[in-house]
Order: sequence, then C-alpha cells, then structure tokens
Amino acid sequence: MDINKDFDRTGNTPDTLLIVDDDAMNRAILREIFQGSYQIEEAANGQEGLERLLECRERICAVLLDVVMPVMNGLELLQEIKKREELAPIPVFLITADAAGDTLRRAYELGVMDVIGKPVTPYVVRRRVDSVVELFLSRKKMSDLVEFQKQELIDREMEILNLNKGMVEALATAIEFRSGESGEHVRRISHITRYMLGKTPLGDGIPKEMLEHITLAAVMHDVGKIAISDAILNKPGRLTAEEYEIMKQHTVLGAALLEKIPQLRNHKVYKYACDIARHHHERWDGKGYPDGLKGEEISVWSQVVALADVYDALVSERVYKKAFDCDTAVRMIRNGECGVFNPEMLEYFEEAEKDLRVFYS
Amino acid sequence: MNEKLRKKLIQAGADTDGALERFMGNEGLYTRFARGFREDGNYDALLKAMEAGDVKAAFNAAHTLKGVTGNLSFNRLYEKVSEVVEPLRREDLEEAGKKLPALTDAYEELIRVLEEWEA
Repeated sequence: MDINKDFDRTGNTPDTLLIVDDDAMNRAILREIFQGSYQIEEAANGQEGLERLLECRERICAVLLDVVMPVMNGLELLQEIKKREELAPIPVFLITADAAGDTLRRAYELGVMDVIGKPVTPYVVRRRVDSVVELFLSRKKMSDLVEFQKQELIDREMEILNLNKGMVEALATAIEFRSGESGEHVRRISHITRYMLGKTPLGDGIPKEMLEHITLAAVMHDVGKIAISDAILNKPGRLTAEEYEIMKQHTVLGAALLEKIPQLRNHKVYKYACDIARHHHERWDGKGYPDGLKGEEISVWSQVVALADVYDALVSERVYKKAFDCDTAVRMIRNGECGVFNPEMLEYFEEAEKDLRVFYS
Repeated sequence: MNEKLRKKLIQAGADTDGALERFMGNEGLYTRFARGFREDGNYDALLKAMEAGDVKAAFNAAHTLKGVTGNLSFNRLYEKVSEVVEPLRREDLEEAGKKLPALTDAYEELIRVLEEWEA
C-alpha cells in the first residue's frame, strides 16, 4: 500500500519572496537579484508588509526586511510576526545598513534568521537566502507529508470501524432472523437508543464517542437468542413456565457469548454490550430478570434498550401478535401493561415518541 | 553607457562595474537610478538641517544619502557621507560640520558628471 501515492509533492510549494523596504531603489535591486528564482511581492513599510504577509501567507517562503521605515519599522513588524503562530515558520532576513549593536541583538531575539548588510552584494545575499529557504521548504514538505499521512490513517481507521459495525449488525440480524425478525428491528433499536441518549436529558453527561459505543452495543442485545431452540423462539402461542425460564436465559447466555469473543473484550463497546445483553429485561421495580436489579441499579443504556425493545415489539407484527398503532403502544407502555420503567425516562420517551416514528416510515 | 562617461564617473569616485554587478547587469535599471540621483533631495535636506541645527533631521538625511550612494557605488561620496553620519549619530553637530565641506566637494563633482549623462 503506497500511502504516499496521492500526495502532491510539487503543488502548493511556497515560491514568493516578500521585500519590505521604503526605498524604491533597494526594492528594485533585491527584485532584480531574486526574480530569476522567485515570485516577488513588495511592500513600502511594515504595515503594508504585514498586510501582504497575511494575504499571501501560503505562498511566501521568505521575507527580506529593512529596519528603518515609516508607519511600522522592521523590528515592529518582526514583533507582529512573532505574535502570530501561523507566520512564525517563515524565515525573515533583515537587510540593513546598521548591521551592528542593539538592532542586531533585538532582531535575533525576535527570531530573525540572518542579518545582511547594505549595500548588498548579489551572490552573498542570494546564497544566504537560498540556503535557508531550501531548508524551510524541505521542512515544510516533510510536515505536510506527515499531516497527509495522519489523515490517511484516520480515514483507514474510520473505514475499519464502519466495516466492524456492518459485521456486528449482520451477525445480530442473522440471529434475530431465526425468530422472524429482520435487520430492521436491530437497526431501529440502535437508532432509538441513540436518539434517547443523544437528544434527551437522559443522555446528559454521555460524550459523543461513548454514545457511539453504546449504540453499537445495543445492536447485540439479543445475541443470546442463538442458544434458544426454534421451538421456543418461534412458538406462536403462550410459553409454558419451563419454556419461559429457558427463554429468559438468552440474557445470561448473550453476555456469556460476548465474553467469549477475545477481540470484543478489548474493545470499548464490550462492557456496554455485556451489560445490555444481560440486563435489557430488568425492571424498574426490581421484578425483572436475570439479576432482579432495581431502579438506578440498572444502567441507563440498558433501560433505554429495554424500552426500545418493548416499543418496537408493540408496533411491529410478531409471530405471536399483530402490530399495534403507535398511540396505542404508548398508552400501553404508560399504563404499565408491558413492564415497569423509570417514570422520568417514560416522560422523555413520550415527548420524543413522535420523532421516533420516522424510523418506521 | 559610453566609455567617456564611464571614465568620468570613475574619476568622480564611482565604481561603475561594482554598481552594475549589484544591479545584476541590468544596465537600463542602473542608468535609471543613477541618473535619478540628480533629483535626490537628501543632500539638500542635509545642508538645510545642519544649518538649522536639527541633528535628527540631519542624521536621517545623511543616513538615507549613505544608503543611496552605497547602492549606486558612488564610493568616494559614500565615504564622505559616512564621515558625517557617524558624528550625527552621536549627535555631535560640530564634528559633523567639520566633515561637511569634503562631502560637498565630492557631491558637486559627481553631480556635474551625472548632469552630462544623456538618456
């Protein structure tokens, strides 16, 4: 894999020299010296120089700066450049008659690359500027390449992540398929979970990344069903007490199954997936299964998946029932006909319910 | 530039070869600026400031004049100007005044030659 394949090495190379001097003759001489190898921009004082610099930042590979200028002098311009992070890497050369003493020290303090005396000698100033610019350009190219590669890696990571999501979804769908569900059911649970935790106060304090993990984990809530026999899973009538006990096992079995996947155990999704698989049938009043967790003992994501699961079951056709309409479903849930839920969660759910219908269109 | 003019310039203390090198062999550009020196106001400004005892203005004019003559390799004049610039930098008007006549001489000799320079 040639990760550099599409990196454009020649485009966007800065090729412009900015000459800042109030004396037209000085500017003309420097232009004459450098125009063979560089594009030239000029400015007649520090203020103009700063403006040009900000305008053409991407193109500029060096600044040739005089000291004594009206409006804003060379040292003042250097100060302005120092203030701005984006201008800091551009090499600056002071071209001055007073190449000694205090000015020199101050200039170096302000980060000037080199100080060149006036009147200039062409081959000297060329050499000094060219060699520094070469270094600057190669350093820039290197850091551009690094940036490019970083982005490539991030893109690849995203690709892999999406592939994983797809595979998890496929697996969950395959398992649900046995009981007559479709991939739609799995996806809807995931969307409802994401909505409830992302767009209602229920999800306060849950950062974006965590929400993504929970959403993916929700997809796997019923993987335990793979261990339940067809006869029970697809029985059109009421389950016997024994059959029900077996059915309830899908929670514990689901968590156990997930634990057996070594790659999953290292993934951030894991703890949510296990939690949700095991606890999506707990009840707010403690009468759920398998652990009889009560109230806040049940994690908010398990609660949400539980509710989503019930809602989705009500409004969809199943082996053992016909589909109810949405308003009826909400009423039944509110009346406690389908389990006991966190009253606060139910409030947010009722508010959000109309928005959730979009997942069923 | 014809040979006669070149000789005269050299005699007036100008290094024509050096100047042309600085101007990257661009004779047109050099000619424009060299002839343009006739209109340079810094010499007059220097004299005026010295007369008025304005050290700062004198220094600025002298300093600028130094830069211009340096660029054009008007070396003799450049030296004389430098000898005035340094005392002025120290704000020593008196010392600067002593060096002024030599500057004037060099300046006037050069200007005479430049004024002969046809386009």
